[in-house]
Amino acid sequence: MSGRAPRVLVVEDDEILRDTLVEVMGDEGHEVRAASNGEAALELLAAWEPDLIVLDLMMPLMDAYEFRRRQRAGGLAGDARVLILSAARDLEAAADRIGADAWLAKPFRLLEVIEAVDRLVNERAA
Amino acid sequence: MNEQNDAVEPAAATSEPSLLRGEVAFRLLVEAVVDYAIFLLGPDGRILTWNLGAQRIKGYAADEIIGQHFSRFYTPEDREAGRPQFLLGRAAEYGRFEDEGWRLRKDGTRFWADVVITALREDADSRPYAFVKITRDLTERRAAEEQQRNLAAEQRARVAAEEALAARDRFLAIASHELKTPVASLQLATEALLRARDRGRLDDARLVTGLQRIGRASDRLGELIGELLDVSRLASGGPATRRQPTELCAVVREVAGRFADHEPDGRIRVSAPAEVWLGADAARLDQVVTNLVDNALKYSGETEPVDIEVIDRGGAVELRVTDRGIGVEASTKDRIFEAFGRGANAEHYRGIGLGLYISQQIVARHGGRIDATDRTDGRGSVFTVTLPREVPAE
Repeated sequence: MSGRAPRVLVVEDDEILRDTLVEVMGDEGHEVRAASNGEAALELLAAWEPDLIVLDLMMPLMDAYEFRRRQRAGGLAGDARVLILSAARDLEAAADRIGADAWLAKPFRLLEVIEAVDRLVNERAA
Repeated sequence: MNEQNDAVEPAAATSEPSLLRGEVAFRLLVEAVVDYAIFLLGPDGRILTWNLGAQRIKGYAADEIIGQHFSRFYTPEDREAGRPQFLLGRAAEYGRFEDEGWRLRKDGTRFWADVVITALREDADSRPYAFVKITRDLTERRAAEEQQRNLAAEQRARVAAEEALAARDRFLAIASHELKTPVASLQLATEALLRARDRGRLDDARLVTGLQRIGRASDRLGELIGELLDVSRLASGGPATRRQPTELCAVVREVAGRFADHEPDGRIRVSAPAEVWLGADAARLDQVVTNLVDNALKYSGETEPVDIEVIDRGGAVELRVTDRGIGVEASTKDRIFEAFGRGANAEHYRGIGLGLYISQQIVARHGGRIDATDRTDGRGSVFTVTLPREVPAE
């Protein structure tokens, strides 16, 4: 990905969180796209490969678990890092199950998410 | 000497001594039975014979009880009520009579007895010359049965407590998840505004968008807190419904108008007569219509229409909200009206699982009912509220 901006896909059903994250990541110089559920995210992945997927766990239509299953089965964005954002309990276990690289419990600080995103896209670049 | 004579008597002797021997053996057998009190009563109820079982169960030795009246085994209440005579009378009448009840031991303690009294007669028409009384001590069995019942009751209480605990856990999990989401939005939107200002990127458009997001998140938080407070009020008996003459169609149009502002044109369709009056608490009815329409919008696609109908049924008024969404799974039809109950297919939608519960409670307080069915002509569900018409006389 050297030479181009890091690509971040935000998958989150809460409109306010989604739009704000897109705005903030854009300010950070990332190329950002967003989806409100797993199904919409899969459609995006068909034509666009992000470096990082910021993923909410519980979403209507298709939750994170089903999304990851289909993403793997379809060989879509297989190298992308995954950051989970959720208000659910026991995120560590969920992150483990889903094969995520990191997780943040809602509510989180803006700086926490910026730092986590930076770290994960840099890891991916290294 | 007798023993010797008995012993040498040939096996195939005449029938007389053999019958006699049979009686002796039978008497010995009865005397030796320890689990049952088996004894004879004369026609007047006096005790003629006694066995080991009777001694064990009732505590009297043969020589201190033979000749006594059998009513001494009965409690004072039963004696007072003439129960001993009554039982003998029944046995005389029917040939055999069975009874269960408290009896007294020699030491005055009570035991739970199963008693069979059989009348002995020379021939079918004659009066009984004696009664056989067989008594079993069922105290232990009765205690065991009672213990069993207590255990079962305890078990039920434990299951209920566990269910209450599980419901509370479910509530905490859902409530915390649902409350954290708008808090996360508030926090993120606020921090994003501050960060944009620090970096000189905060123009008017961004400020307005950010503040609107903060406003929406606060609204959502307020709604959730309102729902939680409603539920705690419902749980403690309130809130009071003030039923006054209310025009339902106006309530419906008002609610529809509020939602229509945020929905594509024509998504919310109202079909109602000019006016339908009923006795109701207008604010609570507003809440019911709001919850049902909110549900219909939430569980269907962003452009799929939602129909709200008011139907005048004479003595009753019907409110129907129809969507083209995910429908209600048959297995969870009843659960959706419970507190924190959600349809199996609704788990990952925002919400706390209280809207339908609150609506159901409000409708019930109006003497009405609420039902959920699938649409018959396609995907989606129909929620029907039926309310009695009567306007309270004032």
